[in-house]
Amino acid sequence: MSYYDYIISREHRKLREPFMNGADLAEQFSHENLSLIERATRRFELLAKAQTPHIFDGQQIVFMRSTSTHPQILTAEEKAAMKEKYHIHELGEMSNLVPDYERILTRGLLAVREESNEYARREIDALIDLSDRYREEAIRIGRDDVAAVLDVVPRYPATNFREALQFFRIVNFAMRLEGVHHVTCGRFDKYMYPYYKADSEKYSQDELDALLRDFFISFNVDSDLYAGMQMGDNGQSLVLGGIDKDGNDIWNALSEACLRASAANKMIDPKINMRVTKDTPAERFTLGSRLTAIGLGFPQYSNDDVVVPGLEMHGYSHEDAVEYGVAACWEFIVPGKGCDVPNIDALSFPLIVDKVLHGGFAGCTSVDQLKSLVRGEIKARCDEIVNGKKELKIVPAPFYSLFFDAPNGDISDGSIYNNYGSHGTGLSTAADSLAVMEKYVLADKTLTADELIEAVDSDFEKHSEILPVLRNEAPKMGCDGGELADEWGVFLLDTFSECLAGRPNDRGGEWRCGTGSAMYYLFHADEIGASPDGRRKGEPLPTNYSPSLFAKTGGPVSVIRSFAKPDLAKTINGGPLTLEFDSSVFRSRSAENSGEISEESCEKLGALVKYYMNLGGHQLQLNAVSRDVLLDAQKNPDNYRQLIVRVWGWSGYFVELDKAYQDHVIARCEYTL
Amino acid sequence: MTGIIFDIKEFAIHDGGGVRTTVFLKGCPLRCVWCHNPEGQSIRPELMKKTGCTGCGKCLEGCSHPECQPYGRCLHACPRGFLSIAGREVSAAELAERLARDAELYRMSGGGVTISGGEPLMQADFCVELLTLLREKGIHTAIETCGFAPEDDFRRVTDLCDFVYCDLKIADSDTHRRYTGVPNELILKNIEYLRSSGKKYRLRTPLIPGITDTEENLTAIRNLTVGDEVEYLPYNDLAGAKYSYLGRKYSLDALE
Repeated sequence: MSYYDYIISREHRKLREPFMNGADLAEQFSHENLSLIERATRRFELLAKAQTPHIFDGQQIVFMRSTSTHPQILTAEEKAAMKEKYHIHELGEMSNLVPDYERILTRGLLAVREESNEYARREIDALIDLSDRYREEAIRIGRDDVAAVLDVVPRYPATNFREALQFFRIVNFAMRLEGVHHVTCGRFDKYMYPYYKADSEKYSQDELDALLRDFFISFNVDSDLYAGMQMGDNGQSLVLGGIDKDGNDIWNALSEACLRASAANKMIDPKINMRVTKDTPAERFTLGSRLTAIGLGFPQYSNDDVVVPGLEMHGYSHEDAVEYGVAACWEFIVPGKGCDVPNIDALSFPLIVDKVLHGGFAGCTSVDQLKSLVRGEIKARCDEIVNGKKELKIVPAPFYSLFFDAPNGDISDGSIYNNYGSHGTGLSTAADSLAVMEKYVLADKTLTADELIEAVDSDFEKHSEILPVLRNEAPKMGCDGGELADEWGVFLLDTFSECLAGRPNDRGGEWRCGTGSAMYYLFHADEIGASPDGRRKGEPLPTNYSPSLFAKTGGPVSVIRSFAKPDLAKTINGGPLTLEFDSSVFRSRSAENSGEISEESCEKLGALVKYYMNLGGHQLQLNAVSRDVLLDAQKNPDNYRQLIVRVWGWSGYFVELDKAYQDHVIARCEYTL
Repeated sequence: MTGIIFDIKEFAIHDGGGVRTTVFLKGCPLRCVWCHNPEGQSIRPELMKKTGCTGCGKCLEGCSHPECQPYGRCLHACPRGFLSIAGREVSAAELAERLARDAELYRMSGGGVTISGGEPLMQADFCVELLTLLREKGIHTAIETCGFAPEDDFRRVTDLCDFVYCDLKIADSDTHRRYTGVPNELILKNIEYLRSSGKKYRLRTPLIPGITDTEENLTAIRNLTVGDEVEYLPYNDLAGAKYSYLGRKYSLDALE
C-alpha cells in the first residue's frame, strides 16, 4: 500500500495510544500550584517525550502524532474560576492566527533558542530531542534520506525545498502539540518559493511535485485529532498569490505546483485560498476552477483590491496589510503580527429584525423610522458585544510565540494588531425580511404590521395566505426584482460597520465586522421563530454571505450582482459569498468524453469568479455538489468516505459531519445554480 | 414590440462560447417526442404545477387577482410555491436591457446572449428587434433553432446573429415527420442558406436512443453534412420531468 493510500485508509490512526494511559496532568499541576506558562511548557515536554517515531514506506516528510489524547492543564474548578474572572475564548488556548514561518525556517531553532525565554528554550530542546529520535529511527530502518534532512532541520536553517517542508512540518506539529488550534499556513508560495526555485534547477518537476504531494498528505495525518467544531474544521488554510507591498503579483511556479498537488491528492487539507486582484489573469481563475470542479470545495478567493484597503482602514500599515493571510475559515490576519480574535462574537441580523418587528415596528410609518429602529437595535447589540468582551485570557504558548512579534513576551498577551472581530450572520434573511416590512406594510399597505407580527409569531398559521407571497414573490437578495432587499443588505452592513468603527477593545485594538456566519447559521436560526421573509420556524439561515435558502435566485450572475453591492471593504473581518453548483455543470456533456471535467466549463466558472471580484466582491467560495449523491451518502456512508463538501469556511468529508450540518449542505443544494 | 418568454438562464455554459445568458422564447412548430422543454411548445402562457402537490386546496379557494382568472387557480396561494405560469410577456427593449446588464461578463469571457426556445423563429419579428438592440450594445449573439421556419424569417433573424446552432435531428423526411411532426425539407433549405451565408454555425443532432442515434440516421446525417461542423448531444435523461408539471404524459417514459 502506498503512503498516500495508507493515510487515506486511516489505518495509521491505529498506531496511536492514549497519552500516559490517560494520566491527569491538570490535577498534578494544580497540586504543585504551577503557573500557567509552566504548565503549558511542561505539557509540551511530556507530550514530546511521549511521541513514538513512525516512518512509513515511501513517506518523505515525517512526523505523526502517536498520542491519541491531549491532556488538559487546568482542572475543571480552575477553569471555572478563570471564567469567572476573565473572558475565555473557545478552548482558552491560542488559535486562528497566521504564524510567520519564514522567521524560523531561515534561522533554525538553535539560533532562535539563543534569544528565547526559558520556557521556549525548554520546548525547543524537547522538540529537537524528538526530532533526533526520528533521525535514529530513520537510520534504523535504512532511510538515510530522512536522516540526512533531520541532520539539518530543525536545528539549522533549511538549505533546500525538502528541508524547508520538513522544517515546516516539525514546527507545525509542535504548535499543535503545544495546544494551539486552527494553525494556518500563511503565504506559502511566498516564503517557500526561494527553496523551491533553487531546487527546480536540480530536480525535475515530477520529483518536486511528488515531494509537494507528500508534504500535503502530512496535513491529513493528524487532522482527526485537531480541535474544531466539526471534523475538517481544522484551520489548515494555505494562501497562494496576492500582491507585495509594491503591488507586484507574487504568483509563481510554486503556486501552480500547489494547485497540482491539491488536484492530485483530492484531500481536504491543506485548504487552498487564492488571493486575486482586478489584474489577475483569467487563466489563473481557470486553474482554481479545476479544483472546484473536482469537488474539493476550494479554492476560496479573496480580493486584494478590497481586503488591503479594508485592513488599512482599521489601522494596519500598508506593508503589513498586503501580507495578509487567511485564518481558519476566511478571516484576514497579518502573519507574525496579528493577534486578532476575529470570531470573538457574532451579531445575528435576523434577531435584530425580530426585535424591531416586535419592538417599534407597529408604530412605524416611514422607511426612515424603520431604518432608525434597525440602527438602534444594531447599535445596542454592538454595545453588548463590545462591552461583553473584556479581560481576555489565553493560555500562554511559548513555542508558538516564536513565530510572532510578542511585545509582552508571549503571543497570548497580544501582538502588533490586537483587533477583535464579530461575524454578521443571516444577512439575506434579515434584508429580505426588511424588504417585506417596507414593501407590504409601509409602501403598498396590503398588510398591517400587526398582521405580519401575528403571522410570524404563529409560524404563519395565522394569515397563512400571505406566506406564499412573502416566500415566493417578495423581493429577495440574489433574485430578479430583489433591488429593495439589496438596498437593505447594504444598509445593514453599513450600519453594522458604523456601529463598531473606532470602538476600542481592551487590548488596544479595535473592532472589525464581517459577513461570515461560522456555525452560527444553525444556532441563530433557533433563537428566533419564523421571519417576515416567509422563513418558517426552524428553517436554517444561509451560510455566510449567501441568498436565503429558499430564494429562487435569478442565477449565479444575479447573486453575484446583488452581493457585490455593499461596500465590502468595511466588512473586512471576512465571510465569503458562497455559491453552490451542481457538480454536473463541470462535466463534459459531449458524447465522446461525457463525465470528464470540462476545461471549457472551468474557464467559464473562472470568468464568473473574476466578475464578482471586478464588481467589488471581497471573498468567494464555491461548492460543486450533487444532491442525489449527498442523499445517497447519508444512507451509505461507507461508499463515500472521500466525498468532500465545503461547510462554512472549510472543506470537510461529508460523512464525518454531524447530521445537522449534512442536512444544511443538502438544503443549500436546493439553490444550486 | 413584445414577445413571450418562459425562462432566462444565467451562466448558460452549454449554449455557445464564453459565459452566456440564454433567453427561452415560447412556442415551437415541432412536437419532438423527446422534447425536454414541453413548456416551450405552446406559444400561450400555461400553468405549471410541480410534482409534490399535497392537494391542500389553497389554490382553489378562489381569488380576485386578474392574472389568476384564466387558470381557475390562485397563483399566489401555493404554500410550497409549486404553481407558476410558464410564459410572460416582455418588451424587446426591457429584455435587452436585462440581458445587457452583464455585458462586461460576456466581454471578459467571450460570451454573450443566446436566444433559444421553444423555437425562437416562431417570434421572428421579436427576435429581429431584440437582436438589433443587443447588437447595438455590442453584445455577441447566438441562436438555437430547429431550422423549421419560413426562409425569409430564418434569413433575417440569423443574419443578425454572430453564431447559429441549427438542429438536424433526422435525415429522412418521413421519419422526421413521424417523430417531430414536420418534414425536414425546409430545414435542409435553411441549412443550405447558412452554408452560403458565410455565417459561423454548427449543426446539432440530439442522440435519442432508437430514434436519432440509429446507424442509419447517423450515416445519412453524415452524408448530408459533409463539410459542416456537427455536434452530437447525449440524451438528457431528466427530459421527462416537466411533462407532469403540465399535466401531460411523456411519450418516451419507456426509455427511462
